[in-house]
Amino acid sequence: MLWRIDATPGRSITWTLSWFLFIAGIAMYFYASHNRHLENPDDKVIPSLNQLAEGVENAFLKPDSEEAAPDELANASMATKFFTSMLWTDTVASAKRFLWAMLLLIPAVFLGLHMGMFPVIGELFLRFILFFDKIVALSVLPILFIAFGIDELSKIMLIVIGVTPTIILDTFNLTKSVPKEQIVKGFTLGAHDFGVTYRIVMKQILPRVLNSIRLNLKAVMLFLFAGEMIASQDGLAFRIALLRRHMGMNVIIPYVLWVALLLFLVDLGMKVANKRLHPWFREA
Amino acid sequence: MAKLIELEGIGVVYPVHGQAPKTVLAGLNLEIQRGEFIAVCGQTGCGKSTMLRLILGAEAPTSGRVLIEGEVLARPDRNRGYVPQKYSLFPDKTVLDNITFGPEMEEFNILGRMTPKFFRRRRELRETAHALLKQMGLDPMDAHKYPDQLSGGMQQRVAIAQALIMRPKILLMDEAFSALDPATRSGMQRLLRTLWAETGTTILFVTHNLHEALYLGTRVVVLGKQNSQGSSNVIADLSVPASSRNDDGQLRRDELDRLIHQVEQAGEPQLAEAYS
Repeated sequence: MLWRIDATPGRSITWTLSWFLFIAGIAMYFYASHNRHLENPDDKVIPSLNQLAEGVENAFLKPDSEEAAPDELANASMATKFFTSMLWTDTVASAKRFLWAMLLLIPAVFLGLHMGMFPVIGELFLRFILFFDKIVALSVLPILFIAFGIDELSKIMLIVIGVTPTIILDTFNLTKSVPKEQIVKGFTLGAHDFGVTYRIVMKQILPRVLNSIRLNLKAVMLFLFAGEMIASQDGLAFRIALLRRHMGMNVIIPYVLWVALLLFLVDLGMKVANKRLHPWFREA
Repeated sequence: MAKLIELEGIGVVYPVHGQAPKTVLAGLNLEIQRGEFIAVCGQTGCGKSTMLRLILGAEAPTSGRVLIEGEVLARPDRNRGYVPQKYSLFPDKTVLDNITFGPEMEEFNILGRMTPKFFRRRRELRETAHALLKQMGLDPMDAHKYPDQLSGGMQQRVAIAQALIMRPKILLMDEAFSALDPATRSGMQRLLRTLWAETGTTILFVTHNLHEALYLGTRVVVLGKQNSQGSSNVIADLSVPASSRNDDGQLRRDELDRLIHQVEQAGEPQLAEAYS
């Protein structure tokens, strides 16, 4: 009965099913780790629980070894230790780039909206953006490094080039999907071009645009990480790339989970904000 | 009565990819006087909605011209209210905000909407909106609901209130009641006739239902296919005088038979048959 398409699994079955793969994955990891450590107690490829705990402590509570001043922090509180830790320093560095990239998506939304509303703007940009969208962002990375240097700007530009065409085209399509009746209705209610654009169309598409940005968060992080891994002095991806050279899996794994947690929280924050800001919006 | 709308030799031809262009209307002439309640009727695809969009200014004719008070108007404006069948309300606004949207847009620009004057005016507009809701037979509790929390009939009532608050010279309704159940539809028809009698607004109501057209209109314009290319034109223009109605607004049987006979004679037996 459970395999039928009209099955309605109960709460306990739903809970078990939704957590099953997590539990199975963790169990398989520790089984593999245990077997490797039986053969080689110093194995670093699949760290044991103790090694992971040590890695977490190093990442979450100890500063980057190059900037370390261990004596000063010996008696500091856990919070102080965390906010001076390697992980936090890297998180702040990556977050700054991430926020800049997100801010630069705002003009992309406005461009897509105007392309959809004003045919002349649409004709001017559409073909170019469609072409631009097909360029593999990572393939222009060398050009960006040559043009903008290897500092912050090139990394932010990589994110912008990688994600903005998608956001522009998504916003354009969403604008076009607003029923013509709504636009005509706006005119009959005394609105002019910009009134219809901002007070009718933009308000209606905004929750869907936010969802589109949410779906592209992973792409933003992907380009951010690519930039940081290739040319950076700090950041989460820089650290992961650095630790890879030392086989520091016991720190890499907590870093990966931390990034996933951050991304989950940003996504959740946007979802909640979207719901609060647009109580009328019903997700399909 | 003064002429309000004139359609002069209207032709509408749509290009069809890979095929010959489709002629929807050809040489259509029609005059509408101020204060009339015109019901435009005809079978699916005869160009009723196209005609409405031309008067609305949402579409330009391929040939001929549309005059409103003697002037050619290029796009929809506040003088022509519009109630479509679907998407008649803004989904992101509450019932009250939907109704007050028009006057707010018209009277205040973006900076003006931050002044105390705007908030004072908004209070007045909300009172007007509440009065309109009452007139439409809606509960004040519905004022803060979003359109998707209302039934189809309630949505159309709000859409009419939204259009009427602008006091348009012409109210254009495109199959506005066709998605409603029979009981709601009948109630909406009565409401619309009452509103027309009270406000004197010129109404152009497009429907494919002859029953509805005969009940609502002071004049019923029947569009039908005229030639082998499928182009449409007016095939019957029937006057429905007030004297032909009973006290409840229904047509007398003899008058009804006469009008149906005229529609049959005009070459739309299917339309007439559906009613009789």
